[in-house]
Amino acid sequence: MTDPRLAYVQRKTRRRLAFSAVHLVLYFSFSLNWSSWGEPLSHRLGVTQVTGSLLMFILLVLIFIGMEFLFLQMESKETQE
Amino acid sequence: MKAMFLFLLRSAPLLVLSGVAAAAGSIDGEVEQQPLNTTAIVMFLLFVVMTLLITWRAAKTTTSSAAFYNAGGKITGLQNGAAIAGDFMSAASFLGITGLIFVGGFDGMILSLGAFAAWPLLMFMFAKRVRNLGSFTFVDVVSQRLARGQIRIVASIGTIAVVIMYLIAQMVGAGKLIQLLFGLPYEVAVITVSALVLAYVAFGGMLATTWVQIIKATLLLTGVTLIAILILARTGFSFNELLSLAVEKHPKGEAILSPGVVFKDPVQIATIQVSMLFGTLGLPHILMRLFTVPDMRQAQLSAFYASLFMGYFYLVLLVLGFGTVAFIYGNPEYFDADGKLTGGINMAAIHIASAMGGDILTGFMSAVSFATILAVVAGLTVSGAAAISHDLYAQVIKQGEPDPKTELRITRIAVFVIGLVAVVLGIAFENENVAFIAVMPMVTAASVTFPILLLSMFWSGLTTRGATYGAIAGFLSSLLLIVLGPQVWVSVIGNEQPLFPYDYPGLFTMPFAFAVIWLVSVTDRSARGEIDRANYHSLLVRSEFGEKAAGEGAVG
Repeated sequence: MTDPRLAYVQRKTRRRLAFSAVHLVLYFSFSLNWSSWGEPLSHRLGVTQVTGSLLMFILLVLIFIGMEFLFLQMESKETQE
Repeated sequence: MKAMFLFLLRSAPLLVLSGVAAAAGSIDGEVEQQPLNTTAIVMFLLFVVMTLLITWRAAKTTTSSAAFYNAGGKITGLQNGAAIAGDFMSAASFLGITGLIFVGGFDGMILSLGAFAAWPLLMFMFAKRVRNLGSFTFVDVVSQRLARGQIRIVASIGTIAVVIMYLIAQMVGAGKLIQLLFGLPYEVAVITVSALVLAYVAFGGMLATTWVQIIKATLLLTGVTLIAILILARTGFSFNELLSLAVEKHPKGEAILSPGVVFKDPVQIATIQVSMLFGTLGLPHILMRLFTVPDMRQAQLSAFYASLFMGYFYLVLLVLGFGTVAFIYGNPEYFDADGKLTGGINMAAIHIASAMGGDILTGFMSAVSFATILAVVAGLTVSGAAAISHDLYAQVIKQGEPDPKTELRITRIAVFVIGLVAVVLGIAFENENVAFIAVMPMVTAASVTFPILLLSMFWSGLTTRGATYGAIAGFLSSLLLIVLGPQVWVSVIGNEQPLFPYDYPGLFTMPFAFAVIWLVSVTDRSARGEIDRANYHSLLVRSEFGEKAAGEGAVG
C-alpha cells in the first residue's frame, strides 16, 4: 500500500460502507413492527394516539436525512482540508 | 360500514401492488370511468402549455447528443434533486399510498419508507462515484473496468428491459388514471401521453425533461401541502386529534395505528423492502440524472435535496392518509349504493382534495396526477433512447467513435420508436392484469442492474464473466419467481394457489444474482478476468478524485 491516494480512497470507502450499514440496519428494523419482537411498538405513547410504530416511521425519515447531512458535512470538510 | 370495509380490504392487495409499484408509477386495481372533469382538463392544459414553451426554449440548446443525454451537465444540485423527486414521486405514490392508508392505516407506511429510503443510500454509495466514472448512463460506469463491448450489451439489454416494462405500467396507469380523473377514454390518455412525451424528449432532450419534472414536483408538493394544511385546520392543527378522529371513523378502530391490518407476514414486508430499496437504486433513468450536474459535489447535493423533497412528501402523505380515514369514512357523498368508494380506492386521495378544497382543488390534484405520469415517462424515454443510441450504437457498434450528427439522429429515432412501442403496448395491455408488469422493473433492477453496478465499484474480484452470468441469473430468476407467484400463477393463469408465495421475489433473486456473480468471478481464470481485477484500484482512485481514465474505458 504505497499509494497514499489509494489509502485515502479506501478510508472513504470504509466510511461509505459504515453509513450504508447503519442505514440498512435501521431500514430493515422497520419490519420488526410486523413481528412479535416489535409488539411493544404497537402501544400508544402516553395519552396520545401516536403509537411507537408511527413514531418510528417519522424518526427514521428524519434520521436518514440527518445522516445524509452529516455525511455531506464530513465530505465537505475533508474536501476543504 | 363493516361490509364496505371488508370490500375495501379485499381490494387491498391490488392497492398494495400499485403502492409497491409506486416507483414504477403504475395505477392498478379496479377503476371506474368518472364524469367529464372540465376543471381538471383546463388545469392540465395549462401545464401542457407551460411545459411545451419550456421545450421550445430547450430545443435551441439541444443540438448534440451530449446535450440530449445530460442537458450539458449544467443542472444544479437543487434543480436535479427536485427533478429526481419529480421523476420518482409518481401518481401511484400519491394515490396508491394514500389509498392504502385509507384501507389499512399504518401498513401503508411500509410503502412510504421503502420509496424514501433509497435516496440516502444513493448518496452514501453511488452519487459521487457514479458521477465521476460515467458520462451519460450507468452502463458507462460498469464498462470502465470490464470488457467494454460485452458488458455494455448485457447492461443495455437490462436497461431496455426495465424501461419497456416500466413504460407498459406507466401507459396502462395513464389510461386508467384518465378514466378516473378526467372522464376521458383510455386510448385518448395513452396517445396523449405518448405525443406529449415525444414532443418534450425529441426536441428538448434531458433539459426539457428536467424542467417538466421540476414543475411537476413543485405542483405536487404544493398540492399535498395545501390539502394537509386544510385537513389539520379542521382538527385545530393537532395531529393527535386527527388520529383520534381516524380511529373513531375506521371500522378497525385503534388497529389502524399499528401494523397488521393488511400485512401479517414479516417476510412479505422484507420482500417489499428489498424490492423497493434496491430496485430504486438500479433504475437506469434515476441513475442517469446523476450525470446532468457539473461535478461530484452537485451529484451528492442532488441526492440530498431529493431526500429532503421526498422525505417531506411521504411525511405529508401521513396526514393525507389519516385525513382520508377521518373525513371520507362515513361520508355518503363518496360512496355508491353498494358501499364502494366512488371510483375505487385509488380515488381516496382525490376525494380528500374534494372534501377539503372543492372542485378547484380536485381539478388541480387531478391535473397534477396526470402530469406526474408525463414526467416519469419522459425520464424513461430519455433513458431508453440513451441505451440505444449511446450505449449500443455509439459505444458498441461504432467503438466509441460515432459521427455526432448520426448519433443525434439515431437518438431521436429511438425516442420515436419508444413512443410508438409505448402506445402499442399500452393499448395491447389495456385489459390485462398489469400488476406483475409493474413489479418486474423493480425486481429486475434490484436483481440485474444494482448488483453489477455495486460490485463494479466496490469489489475488486468482479470479472466480466461473473457480471454477465449474474445479470442473466438475476433476470431469469426474477422472471421465473414472478410467473410462479400470485400475480401470474393465480391472477393471470388462474391457478388456485401460487407455487411461490410472494409477489416481490427481490429478497431471493437479488442474493441469488450476487451469489452467481461471486461464484463465477472467483472461479474465472481467464486472461480477461485478470485484467478486470487489475483495473479495480485505478478505477477506485478515479471514482473518488474524478479523474478520467486514459481513453474512455478500462485498461486493457
